[in-house]
Amino acid sequence: MRDVYVIGIGITSFTRLEYPLSEIAAYPAMMAMKDAGTRAIDHLYVANMGGGRINHQTGLASAVVDTLSLTPAGAETIENGPASGGSAVKTGYMAVASGLHDTVMVTGAERMREVNNLEATDFVATLTHPLAEHIYGVTLPSLAAMFTRLYMEKYGVTERHLAMVAVKNQNAALLNEFAHLQQKISIEGILDSPEAMTNNPYVAVARKVDRPLVKLAGVGQATDTHAVHEREDPTDLLAVRRAAAMAFERAGLVPADVDVAELHDAFTILEIVESEECGFFPKGEGHLALERGETALGGKLPINVSGGLKGRGHPVGATGVAQVYEIVHQLRGEAGERQVEGARVGFTCNFGGFGNNVVCLAFEREN
Amino acid sequence: MPREIYAYKCRKCGHTHYPYRMVCKDCGQNEHNEFEPVPLPKTGKLLTFTTLYSLPPDFEVPSLGLAIVALAGGITVTGQHRIDEPVIGMAVRGEVEIVRRDGYDEHYGMVFYKA
Repeated sequence: MRDVYVIGIGITSFTRLEYPLSEIAAYPAMMAMKDAGTRAIDHLYVANMGGGRINHQTGLASAVVDTLSLTPAGAETIENGPASGGSAVKTGYMAVASGLHDTVMVTGAERMREVNNLEATDFVATLTHPLAEHIYGVTLPSLAAMFTRLYMEKYGVTERHLAMVAVKNQNAALLNEFAHLQQKISIEGILDSPEAMTNNPYVAVARKVDRPLVKLAGVGQATDTHAVHEREDPTDLLAVRRAAAMAFERAGLVPADVDVAELHDAFTILEIVESEECGFFPKGEGHLALERGETALGGKLPINVSGGLKGRGHPVGATGVAQVYEIVHQLRGEAGERQVEGARVGFTCNFGGFGNNVVCLAFEREN
Repeated sequence: MPREIYAYKCRKCGHTHYPYRMVCKDCGQNEHNEFEPVPLPKTGKLLTFTTLYSLPPDFEVPSLGLAIVALAGGITVTGQHRIDEPVIGMAVRGEVEIVRRDGYDEHYGMVFYKA
């Protein structure tokens, strides 16, 4: 397999964008092509989950490739729930690594404000098992709530720990001009704060090049049972552990090598649990590392310095691509006030369903 | 005949699954229709729970109790609960009731009460 590098990135604000979904996907792609200094794109991958359901637009990639005037390049829409972004980047990686294409574009977009919060939550709830979960009224937040209760009982995680993650990430977002939430919060003030619902963007371009840049060094993906209750231990996020281990193995790296990570905190508990399952901290001790400040900017392993899903926003299908943007931005040393000093190795975890489809990616700066 | 929710027992290895799946997770037998439907047990232990206030639009109630229950015999299921003060580990009993109305369709599922 050939080595694969990210040679251009672009991003736009995670806010209510009034232009069409295809343009939300296209605009950061234009920025990425400018960043890379090329328009020679062999293939386009567009990560999106809700186009058909909430924006009445299917075949999104065909619209995006045309508005970018990249035809006749091939184009595909990648839908893999909230892990669509990670899957799209992984698919782009496969295309370049295999030699099928030399340069590909991956972009992600979602236009969730087309519908109200209840409809958006209902749309995301279609990820759950139709007969064993969905008919009961189960939504992703309710699965997260049941998971969190069990995890707190088992490992001594408290509401205060969850608030610490939320405060850390939302306040980190203040240093990210593209983040959705731009409001300082405190632990005391947030114990019942609402989840954010956003539009969004993102993009990466990858190809084989001679100059040393940011290498997508390893990809990993794993699945678990569709219904959460069917897992032997419902607090065990097996797919995260397997996807992360696979990404590290393929990259020839270990968790201790990582300088900066973007983890999928769709619910605050997930940042703590993923920091354990990815191998950064022992099981049941993620909240202790959080307490010690190890996961904050300036700590041993800063997590979600972009603001994470909590602060930057979580436009479901686009999130995994946005995570890659942040890591590349960091490894290039271009992140300004939120730069992790000397970051050389970065890691992303993109969590689909409630842990039933997970994509992890490991990145390394070469020079 | 009372309504039942069924688990599916592999005719080859005896492993019981809920919900239905096409291929046995345990022995991997790959023949069509090789599962025997077995009614879910009605007693169990509350594994975890929540109260949902942000409900899907078709639910005409202010809140909904949801639970994951470890049933007697080793099957774990998700369902609704109607328990005032739920506690992890408490004994519960299940009834098969209408859990969702979707247009003219009525969906039956497990509803758990204090045992």
